[in-house]
Amino acid sequence: MLLLFLVFRILPVIGAALLSLTDYRLSGRWTFIALDNYTRLLTDSLFHQALGVTLTYTVIFVPLTVLLSLGTAVLLHQVVWRRGFFRGVFFLPYVTSIVLAAVIWKWIYDVQDGLLNAVLGLVSIGPVDFLGESNLVLPSIAVTSAWKGFGYSMLILLSGLQAVPRSYLEAAMIDGAGAWQRFRYIVLPQLRPVLFFVLVIETIGAFQVFDAMYVMTGGGPVRSSYSLVYFLYDSGFKYFDFGYASAIGLVLFAIVLIVSLVQRRLVGRED
Amino acid sequence: MKPTLQSTVRRIAAPLTALVLAAALGSCGDNSGGGSSSETKSITLWMYPVIGDQAASDTYWQKVEKDFEAANSGIDLKLEMQPWANRDEKIAAAFAGKKGPDVVLMIPDQLPQYVNNGSLEPVDDVVAQDKDKFLPAAIPGLTVDGKVYAAPIYHTVTSTMFNKTILTKAGIGKPPETWDEIKAAAPKIKAAGFSTLDYSASPEASLNLNFYPLLWQAGGKVFADDGKTVAFNQAPGLEALTFLKTLWDEGAIPKTALTNGNVVADQPFGKGQVAMAMTSTPADAGTVAKTWGAANVEVGTPLTGKKQVGFGLPGGLAVNAASENVDAAKKFLSFMIQPAQLEDLSKASGFYTPRTDVKAPVTDPAVAKFADALQYAVPGEPNAAARQVMSLLSAEIQAALTGKKTPQQALDDAAEQANDLLSRQR
Repeated sequence: MLLLFLVFRILPVIGAALLSLTDYRLSGRWTFIALDNYTRLLTDSLFHQALGVTLTYTVIFVPLTVLLSLGTAVLLHQVVWRRGFFRGVFFLPYVTSIVLAAVIWKWIYDVQDGLLNAVLGLVSIGPVDFLGESNLVLPSIAVTSAWKGFGYSMLILLSGLQAVPRSYLEAAMIDGAGAWQRFRYIVLPQLRPVLFFVLVIETIGAFQVFDAMYVMTGGGPVRSSYSLVYFLYDSGFKYFDFGYASAIGLVLFAIVLIVSLVQRRLVGRED
Repeated sequence: MKPTLQSTVRRIAAPLTALVLAAALGSCGDNSGGGSSSETKSITLWMYPVIGDQAASDTYWQKVEKDFEAANSGIDLKLEMQPWANRDEKIAAAFAGKKGPDVVLMIPDQLPQYVNNGSLEPVDDVVAQDKDKFLPAAIPGLTVDGKVYAAPIYHTVTSTMFNKTILTKAGIGKPPETWDEIKAAAPKIKAAGFSTLDYSASPEASLNLNFYPLLWQAGGKVFADDGKTVAFNQAPGLEALTFLKTLWDEGAIPKTALTNGNVVADQPFGKGQVAMAMTSTPADAGTVAKTWGAANVEVGTPLTGKKQVGFGLPGGLAVNAASENVDAAKKFLSFMIQPAQLEDLSKASGFYTPRTDVKAPVTDPAVAKFADALQYAVPGEPNAAARQVMSLLSAEIQAALTGKKTPQQALDDAAEQANDLLSRQR
């Protein structure tokens, strides 16, 4: 197992780190350029823009997904009738392809023929260009990604909820604690390790967003949905600048690591 | 029983020996691909849906495989059909790993970057004998730095196409052929409840099929003559983008243009919501004819701004420089540029033959009208950074259309980024 992890995880990272110190291109010709790719990143306006887009998307997507997952998990926890069926229904989007989901949501958001605009039209709103307006495009994509992915976190949170000792809740009820108080002071603290895991997983997912943007907007309008991974992809496979792309990948890795450590300190700390 | 040193060595040595033998046998197998003349050489072709109809495509390429192998015993041709989407990414990844196909279809603006990287083998010797039998743009379009890097097998052309029903509803008798006529028609078409011109402003859409033809019609160029800087931010570029912006502001271009790709069936034009498209292909004509009815499809000539220009290019077969069977690959190219193959390909694909001595019979009148546009076809501007420059410019065109920047600002910003990119090219 350790060998597999070394071969398929650690070695590629080391390879990418070495590649990021070169100007390796398609031909295989390269020269060692030390930290030039990293200093170039600091002054690259495209990088700044992609970083801004990724951070904004993360700020929208993570709370949205975690709240949706938590809310659905709490509801499912209460439901006795056909819980398995509802759990399956909510989990279903997770096992569908993101490309397929993005194509369908692109149609739902369509400014001319979209389902959402048809519904809004019934109450005399719109048409709204969800994917063509810079301030709407990231929330719209975040909704698509949240719809697609919340089932996984929901299942993890549901198992966390089921692990909360019933005796704690019964004791609180006897003491006169209401539903919100029980949730706030018993369930949430008990859920903290699971919540931390979900937060980290969803944050990493948010920082790696690419597919939905690629399919739904191509990074537009005017790079309003041009994420760091999109920038990495373009640098590597459109500009064939593999050294630079590797540097972007490592910077992304560093950002995710720092954010995860901060989350650990804030949410995952031991009481 | 405690294992002895001898038995331990044997337990380790046996599988190691087996591994070494397997590796040796494996390498023998590899050699057979590139190998001696007495053994079968294998060449792989990456082909794309040049023939839109799946059944016709299968029939054509199976016949090519069979005929080529019959004429060249000892060469095994393996065909791998690839999608058009993301083809550069796949080719780049394959070439970067020193793998990939022996032969791959390429168009003019793809070639320079692979030539720069040393990934392609010159094929001057393949086309030398028949060089004067090709259309004027066919060989030059596939030439980089004085060497031919692909053997042309088809020639495309684009032109304007109109939805006659919409024009009739708008009371327009003669389809617009110039920029001024489009501007004049736009209010009437809008009053009839339709958009005038279909356009793809998605950053992933090729500018060869949207902005560049307008730029060329305005008398402009994408790159300066030396190819080291861009020229699209000069007066003709501004004129082209201003024309586009005017249409956008008047609602003559559908708002979905920002996310639309270049696929007619998915576009407002294909859905019958827009009066005209400016870079339609014969295949597009077939597609919309199924939706609107052939009687409602009208094919025009390429648009005229200061000049009348359309887009059309040769598609050619290029040889991977890392191929172990370059000679066999070149034999395949020589086979493919013969009249029999080109005529059949033209019949099956609806594209034109790149040879002047081969004329595929055209039965579809719409396709015949596209032939008139061949004389106005520009095959793009070859540059190693052509595709990268497109993606930089696309984002700025969106900025101009959505009013975030003026057309001149947008073009200047794109030019600054593109020139920086070009300065870093090796």
